[in-house]
Amino acid sequence: MLCEWTDHQVFGARDGAILFGVDQGSLFFIDAETRDALARWNHGPTLDLDAVPPADREILEGLRTARFLAPAGVRHRLAAADFDIAAIPLTTMVLEVAQDCNLNCTYCYADGGSYGRAARFLDPDTARQAVRKLVADSADRDTVTLVIFGGEPLLNMPAVEAAVLEARIQSQQTGKQVFVSLTTNGTLLKPAIIDFIHANRIAVSVSLDGPADLHDANRPCLKGKGSYATITDNLAGLLSGATAPVAARVTLTPDQWPRIEEVFFHLMDLGFHEVGIAPVSPVRRNLLPDAAQEEALLQGFSAMAGIFLKAAKTNRLLPFTNLIDLLARLHLGQTKSVSCGAGYGYLAVDAAGSFYVCHRLVGDENFLVGNLDDGAVPAEIRRALDSVTCGKQEMCSSCWARTLCSGGCHYENHLRENQLGLPPGGSCDFIRRWFQLGIEVYAELRRTGAEEILQRLGKRVKC
Amino acid sequence: MDKKKRIEALNEKARAIEALASGEQKSVAALQEGGALNMPVGCTTIFDTGWETNPRATNPVGMCQPSSHDYLGCAGDCWWPAQNPDGMTNTLDLEQICSSISRDWRDIK
Repeated sequence: MLCEWTDHQVFGARDGAILFGVDQGSLFFIDAETRDALARWNHGPTLDLDAVPPADREILEGLRTARFLAPAGVRHRLAAADFDIAAIPLTTMVLEVAQDCNLNCTYCYADGGSYGRAARFLDPDTARQAVRKLVADSADRDTVTLVIFGGEPLLNMPAVEAAVLEARIQSQQTGKQVFVSLTTNGTLLKPAIIDFIHANRIAVSVSLDGPADLHDANRPCLKGKGSYATITDNLAGLLSGATAPVAARVTLTPDQWPRIEEVFFHLMDLGFHEVGIAPVSPVRRNLLPDAAQEEALLQGFSAMAGIFLKAAKTNRLLPFTNLIDLLARLHLGQTKSVSCGAGYGYLAVDAAGSFYVCHRLVGDENFLVGNLDDGAVPAEIRRALDSVTCGKQEMCSSCWARTLCSGGCHYENHLRENQLGLPPGGSCDFIRRWFQLGIEVYAELRRTGAEEILQRLGKRVKC
Repeated sequence: MDKKKRIEALNEKARAIEALASGEQKSVAALQEGGALNMPVGCTTIFDTGWETNPRATNPVGMCQPSSHDYLGCAGDCWWPAQNPDGMTNTLDLEQICSSISRDWRDIK
């Protein structure tokens, strides 16, 4: 039988290999003999199974069963789904309640919270209109998510309160669940606000970059003094009696990447339920990492992966968000044909009530896709997304990570390619190595029988 | 070592593929009841003109496709021994010699 190989990637593992089926998102462990047979016969586009000696043929039949060999000429690579944007229900709305900020972070992508314009506050009535729109446009979805965002959202408590109140009303009227989350710099968390957060079960992300010296290096107040002490003073109140998870949202500049492990444990010691670490977006050319810094970042994540595996052996899920999110997707074998939900059920609303495809692209007219009164325009969403994705298909089509990544973050790409003028693909190598790390950690979890951890990962994606 | 030990499904997608494959093997076995030489039932053994009627607003509008399209009706991963150059037993290299069925069908031996 004439067969051809389907796209796959082999990763070394002790006494065998991990085999990733690119189009399926499948992960198999293969023994050393299968790995060697694969290497022997995986040359050239087609393979005549009948011409293979029986011992190897039996092994290759196993690979055929696992869909790594398909009958020649059969279209085994699925065409990319062509989504009807208008038919996709709205599921997540990011509300920019305050396009202003009381901090002056060095790496801010929103020009001090204002997104390149004069400081603006969202009117409480508009906030309520936005929440009604989110629920009304959510079609058959049982749950929707409202993200209260800024700038610093707590500068505009009237709009925050209006949005949360409307979310509760809408939830009661429609029976839908409205999850509310809030991202804050943590400087304005006074007792009354904390009580409000607890009473309304709001999941809070606090932007805190680790120990004082790291945090204060990039997150000063307007007058120049570091903000670490103010935030940590407020934290105890937020964490004690929390009714929803409180996460630390870390942004690290390249010079800080060697200290990832220290940052993580510092924040865990402060009492956060989860810690997610983001390498800074290169909003300016001097924030672009060099090769050694990128290596340090991977080493840092790799060290965290080792600690994660160690914790898993004692049935503990280390709350390192970056890795948990990746492992959860790998566990199910989820593949993506678009890189994120931006424009596909995910929209940001600015302080004037305008829709943008993503919160990070607010203020850029190219990504303006409608407004609260008239709704989001599907053709405009298509145009905005095409402007950052067109022409990449060919580059991605030969990449083994394409079904995990699907092109990467629109904002990061826009920044690197359209604003800094860098060629596309500059972060691909890093992204592939990060996925590989995740795949290796996942295989190790499976092989060490961390079933309970794996079940918890599965639930995370399904809920 | 048996086949199962050589390849071990790790994630849920891999397990789903294994389940699918074992299901496929069962249906093949069921169709072979009474001996491997029996013709299977359940699929057409004659050409069924009409199933290839063109529903689109393209030529030939509402008409059947050229009969050469029948050749591919059961080719590829479908193993039914219908009257076609099935890519499994008779014409293993169908895709190479006949990449466009309407153009190259005469090349099928």
